[in-house]
Amino acid sequence: MASATDSRYGQKESSDQNFDYMFKILIIGNSSVGKTSFLFRYADDSFTPAFVSTVGIDFKVKTIYRNDKRIKLQIWDTAGQERYRTITTAYYRGAMGFILMYDITNEESFNAVQDWSTQIKTYSWDNAQVLLVGNKCDMEDERVVSSERGRQLADHLGFEFFEASAKDNINVKQTFERLVDVICEKMSESLDTADPAVTGAKQGPQLTDQQAPPHQDCAC
Amino acid sequence: MAREVSLNSLQELEREVILQVLYRDQAVQNIEEERIRKLKTHLQHLRWKGAKSVSQEYRENSCARCHQELGLLLNRGAVCQGCSHRVCSECRVFLRKTRAWKCTVCFEDRNVKIKTGEWFFEERAKKFPTEGKHGTAGAKLLQSYQELSKISVVPPTPPPLSESQCSGSSHRLQELGQFKGFNKSVENLFLSVTTHMKKLSKSQNDMTSDKQLLATGPRQCASRTERRSQSDTAINVTTRKASAPDILKSLNQESPKRHTNPVLKQEDLSSRPTPSAVFSGGLRHASLISINSTCTEMGNFDNANVSGEIEFAIRYCFKTCSLEICIKACKNLAYGEEKKKKCNPYVKTYLLPDRSSQGKRKTGIQKNTVDPTFQETLKYEVEPAQLATRWLQVSVWHLGTLTRRVFLGEVTIPLATWDFEDSTTQCFCWYPLRAKAEKVDDSILPNNGELAVRAKLVFPAGPRKFQEALEGTDWPSPNGQLCLVVLGAKNLPVRSDGTLNSFVKGCLTLPDQHKLKLKSPVAKKQACPRWQHSFVFNGVSPSQLRQSSLELTVWDQAIFGVSDRLLGEARLGSKENVAGGRDMCSQSELQWQKVLSSPNLWTDMTLVLH
Repeated sequence: MASATDSRYGQKESSDQNFDYMFKILIIGNSSVGKTSFLFRYADDSFTPAFVSTVGIDFKVKTIYRNDKRIKLQIWDTAGQERYRTITTAYYRGAMGFILMYDITNEESFNAVQDWSTQIKTYSWDNAQVLLVGNKCDMEDERVVSSERGRQLADHLGFEFFEASAKDNINVKQTFERLVDVICEKMSESLDTADPAVTGAKQGPQLTDQQAPPHQDCAC
Repeated sequence: MAREVSLNSLQELEREVILQVLYRDQAVQNIEEERIRKLKTHLQHLRWKGAKSVSQEYRENSCARCHQELGLLLNRGAVCQGCSHRVCSECRVFLRKTRAWKCTVCFEDRNVKIKTGEWFFEERAKKFPTEGKHGTAGAKLLQSYQELSKISVVPPTPPPLSESQCSGSSHRLQELGQFKGFNKSVENLFLSVTTHMKKLSKSQNDMTSDKQLLATGPRQCASRTERRSQSDTAINVTTRKASAPDILKSLNQESPKRHTNPVLKQEDLSSRPTPSAVFSGGLRHASLISINSTCTEMGNFDNANVSGEIEFAIRYCFKTCSLEICIKACKNLAYGEEKKKKCNPYVKTYLLPDRSSQGKRKTGIQKNTVDPTFQETLKYEVEPAQLATRWLQVSVWHLGTLTRRVFLGEVTIPLATWDFEDSTTQCFCWYPLRAKAEKVDDSILPNNGELAVRAKLVFPAGPRKFQEALEGTDWPSPNGQLCLVVLGAKNLPVRSDGTLNSFVKGCLTLPDQHKLKLKSPVAKKQACPRWQHSFVFNGVSPSQLRQSSLELTVWDQAIFGVSDRLLGEARLGSKENVAGGRDMCSQSELQWQKVLSSPNLWTDMTLVLH
């Protein structure tokens, strides 16, 4: 079974040039917050409860259709473990957008958000777009980080905020699509000097705007 | 003891897993590069179509894009905001929901910038100006693996080709099997880097990581296997033998046979149009220049009364970036040695302005004939963008006794205007041979080398104001800044010892004839100097710049206080000042327009020195 899927993926990746842009996205956050699960849910619509620590880095490719454009996403999943930090931070520079993830049932992972944000500032480009995601929102019983705290921290850092669940497939797609939109806006902005109209830039909401991001917290 | 072994083996597995990811990434990058190359080639073609060429007389009243005649009253054309060229109504693209428009080339230029992700690289270069624009972390990691191990596992950056020119996947498999051998050194790399990083990220209290480290036993490994087999991206370590060939297949499809040619490797590595690609010649060693060519280039040869014709065909393959010149035959050549009625002809080509031995291709020598048949194909690896800046020089020579060479005639073809997509231009064609161009004509062929610069207009105010400034609204902006990085030069007329102590002077002449002058440091003893020096011209506004001219001159520093020797100059902007060389400059002129119309973005230019 494994080899069958592998060959299919090989073909898919090598032959498909049929897209308009390619965006590189990086998922970061403490170990075990659910980065890999989040990516697997989005890319393969699959979920496995067993925890396997990611070795260094991994990525998946997914082509989506957004704003009348086919966008190829190369989504990098990073190891949360500190001993891989060198490799993972090397990838910050190539990423156009970030998903910074914490686990709502793990205070530690939430406390580390500030540090992760600092890492982005250090290793990434100046206009890095970041979405803060509180994962595992299906586990309401074990919640230790309230939505309100998450949102406040996101506002403080100037990121947009989502609560999501890879397990129950809540807000996963929305998170990626929002990030793609935000990168598109940045792209238009950076080319704005000539004319804003070509890419259909919506002179869009700044990330620091308080009410702009559609907070789609989960209902559970 | 037992635990140590298992830890080691896991780390080995880790490395392999990561390497697999890196290779997969490389495959993705290759596709992406191929796509980008296509986009850029397309843009280049649009540019060529519009470029005012040597052969076509530039007419003021024709559309700059399609060359259609413009009327006096109807279809008068209008000036494009981007490039300042007058274009007809057909060659305009209206921007979404506005009445604003750009000409087809300017529109495509922006389009390409979006589609290639160039916008991002430019933005990123603002924060990391010293680092390469395009290099990916994966490529770097792979390279460091190879440097450490001193084993070339795969070529560091295979050129962007998607042809399935497999070169033995079983061989590749074997190489993968040998990873074990250099894991030790890789391990050292990881170790040193991680310890370094730990200092940086001490604040990160990632408790789980420690636990994880302790739990890295065989069981952990087994569970990984289980999990990984469900994912199509992750590499299943234990079933690697079964799954690896599939991954390798996709990799192998990306690795063309071009690597078998060591001479071309350098070109391959620099397949992206970065300054380093333009200056790959800078790595060449002066001593490589062949004695014979140096002799013939210095005029150390005999001249025959030129007569006859040469038949050849030119073809360019965009996929492989190779220019092929098929030399078929010559007829009615002059005798190399008139008295003895002797002639041993051969054909030599250059892609001017490169006259180095690397840029030389020769056919075999035909004995005792003035109507030789060669049937030989001479090949060059050139980027499409480079092609537009080159002249193909095909010359015929006689090899006499004592290897004395006699010049029998030449043909020079500007490639900027050559339509490589038109199949009719690929046919064999007879060209009359000509004598060497006189010194006066030398100004037509720029042969004083090339200067690579990177320019940016720094403009603090918002875009709207910039538009106003472009439209000529009287809005003085004393805060504007023209930043220019003089990267390097090549093919300069060197001293007899093959070196130079060169430096660059930059002179910006403002509309009021006020001159701003700057000078770079001297690059000592370099034939292909790399200054990497930045000039900053302060207090200029875009509208001023439109009417200003920028003169860049390259000098060889005098040794004993005698006056410095001028090696060449390039001029940008303000058309009246470009004496007679407008056709030549059209490429750099376009780039200069790009600098002016896209503030805060770096533009790379290669300027031909006259």
